[in-house]
Amino acid sequence: MIQSLFDGILVGAILSLGAIGLTLMMHILRFANFSHAELLSVGAYVALVFDGAFATLAPFLTNKWGALSATTALALATLLAIAIAGVTAVIADRLVFKRLREAAGPLTMVFASFGVALIMRNVIGLIFGLQSIHYSNEIAFAVVVSTDPFLLVKPDQLFVLALALVAMAALHVVMARTPLGFALRAISENPSLAQVNGINLSRMVTITWLIGGGMAALAGVSYAVTNHLSPVMGRDLVLSLFAAAILGGLGSVPGAVIGGFVVGLASSLALLIVPAGYKPAIPFLLIIIALYVRPNGLFGEAR
Amino acid sequence: MKNFKLLALPAFAAAGLLLAGEPAQAQDCTQKVGAVLPTSVDWGRPIAETAQFAVDIFNEAGGVKGCKVDMILRDTQVDPKVGVDAAKALVDLEKVPLLLGAVSSGVSMPILTSVTVPSNVMQMSCCSSSTAFTAVAEEGKTNGLWFRTFATTRNQAAVAAMLIRDKGYKSVAIFYKNDDWGQDIGKLVAADIEKLGVTVTANVAINDGQPSYRAEVTEALKSQPEALYVALYPTEGSAVLREWVSLGGTQKMVVANSLKSDEFRDAVGLQYLGEAVGHDSAPPRTDSAASFVDLYKAKFNAEPNGPGLPNVFDAVMISLLAMEAAPELTGDQIAAQVGKITDPSGMTFFPNADGLKAAKDALAEGKALSYTGATGAVKFDANGDVSAPAVAWTFTDAGTAESQYFTIEDVDGFIGSLGN
Repeated sequence: MIQSLFDGILVGAILSLGAIGLTLMMHILRFANFSHAELLSVGAYVALVFDGAFATLAPFLTNKWGALSATTALALATLLAIAIAGVTAVIADRLVFKRLREAAGPLTMVFASFGVALIMRNVIGLIFGLQSIHYSNEIAFAVVVSTDPFLLVKPDQLFVLALALVAMAALHVVMARTPLGFALRAISENPSLAQVNGINLSRMVTITWLIGGGMAALAGVSYAVTNHLSPVMGRDLVLSLFAAAILGGLGSVPGAVIGGFVVGLASSLALLIVPAGYKPAIPFLLIIIALYVRPNGLFGEAR
Repeated sequence: MKNFKLLALPAFAAAGLLLAGEPAQAQDCTQKVGAVLPTSVDWGRPIAETAQFAVDIFNEAGGVKGCKVDMILRDTQVDPKVGVDAAKALVDLEKVPLLLGAVSSGVSMPILTSVTVPSNVMQMSCCSSSTAFTAVAEEGKTNGLWFRTFATTRNQAAVAAMLIRDKGYKSVAIFYKNDDWGQDIGKLVAADIEKLGVTVTANVAINDGQPSYRAEVTEALKSQPEALYVALYPTEGSAVLREWVSLGGTQKMVVANSLKSDEFRDAVGLQYLGEAVGHDSAPPRTDSAASFVDLYKAKFNAEPNGPGLPNVFDAVMISLLAMEAAPELTGDQIAAQVGKITDPSGMTFFPNADGLKAAKDALAEGKALSYTGATGAVKFDANGDVSAPAVAWTFTDAGTAESQYFTIEDVDGFIGSLGN
């Protein structure tokens, strides 16, 4: 029970990171972006490339941080991945979504996002192959934290959890306390009124994509460190991310964080009650229940 | 209109005369048989080519009842709907009494229940392994029209159980892929080892593409098994086993043939797979199997390494010989002759042109045959199933290496000893 609780929180941290970007984009740009999860893959693979490059150029960077499988090389690669995934998101917007936003309805945008997702996924598959790979083929062993109740934890997962919490807290501060955060929130509340007040809409849209893409890259690297890299990792995660974002209420960053943890916990705890074969259904069951009770999600506002 | 009728009548009469004239050239007759195979996928095309190769050899030996065999091939696209449509067209429009195929169990099954059995057409598959066919046959719903030359999942499960028994494991947790094949083999292995007195501590379904397998692994881990049985594909298999190893789970494991891959070995790491042993079906170590390899190499200039190639060769040969022996070319009459072609006490022969000619002469004299082809001496049980030899293998630096060979008698003997 304790073990399942802990496992759920660790999985939830990664889902939360991914869901934050998704919920921001859905709220500010007002469409369900199915290509968002592919940004996780983009981030993870970019980090793979630079991790390899740093390791070759400067082997002293590959010393491990204590019990973690993280290295300085991977940390630097992750920073680059965050930037590049953000830029990728902006490029996708410039090439596809911006043009459609001006001309077409939200449904067209949704289908376009499916197309963008397919392109990103298959380009990754073409370059890196379809097999799953790892930053390090060594297996990071779990540590017994307590024997009664029995609790096994991997140091990597604790690190990812801490990292995710820091990133979320930072984003929350930005959104709640800085002029940039106010501007972003104003755009999502009422784009016309915000522009009347001198907020540059297209600049804010770009920043939204950068933040969403960056968060996705961090989630992607975290996922890849604790699981594996595969071209279909975005596809595997996309429905859980949507479940988290919808559960939390669209547009709410704290909602997405809590949504992510709820989905992670529910999938983990579900196995105590139902056979493993039914696990994929749990997030959707949660969405149905949550939307039945609170149609706008746990923290969403009616609009 | 009246004028038209008057004019039309002589025209029809003339056409009738022309049609009636055709059977006069009876030497050039052809006998149609149908084949539904997934020719649009890369591993399906060699199966279809091998089937046509077998038909060509049979025609070289004089065809069926003196008529050239014409195999009409349709693509299933590994899709049950497409497969059923193709089979229906062959049965209803081409009136074939024999249908070869399909490959996937999920395609063969709807064809069997909705096309071949209702239309009294014999169906012989090279490659479907699901035990669902055995169940349908046991219920008497195949009317004896169904055969396959591919050993069933039953056979593979028994080999897994033998390996667990030989290793002396007392408690085993099972991870199985949550699809037809995985559920099938997971359930069978669990039942078999329980009969051997081994405790199944957990039987955990693994779905594709989950964000994390931590919960599933924890579920099996807390049941504290001595060993593991894993029936997964490489992608999920490596994710699950990396998690398993990292949480300190046992490295004693038996794995299914689906994990015989370098991708899996590299992802988990050879140092953790030292105690892992796998199972797989194997071609028999007989002269007839070697003869097939020679025959195949002479024709295609390559080793017959793809899945199902020896099996489809035998499926075609046995079916066509049964047609030769059948008094009339209807599904039930052809199916009734299959036992005569694969009678262990009959005349042994290898199906090259000469062997087939000798076999047909023997049939004409009313003698029984013991077909001995690419998969050895074929023998169907009452449900149309065959058994097959098996190998055990281990992971090595170079890939995998065979560690043990189980003859067909070993496998059958073991299944018999389980009492089912």
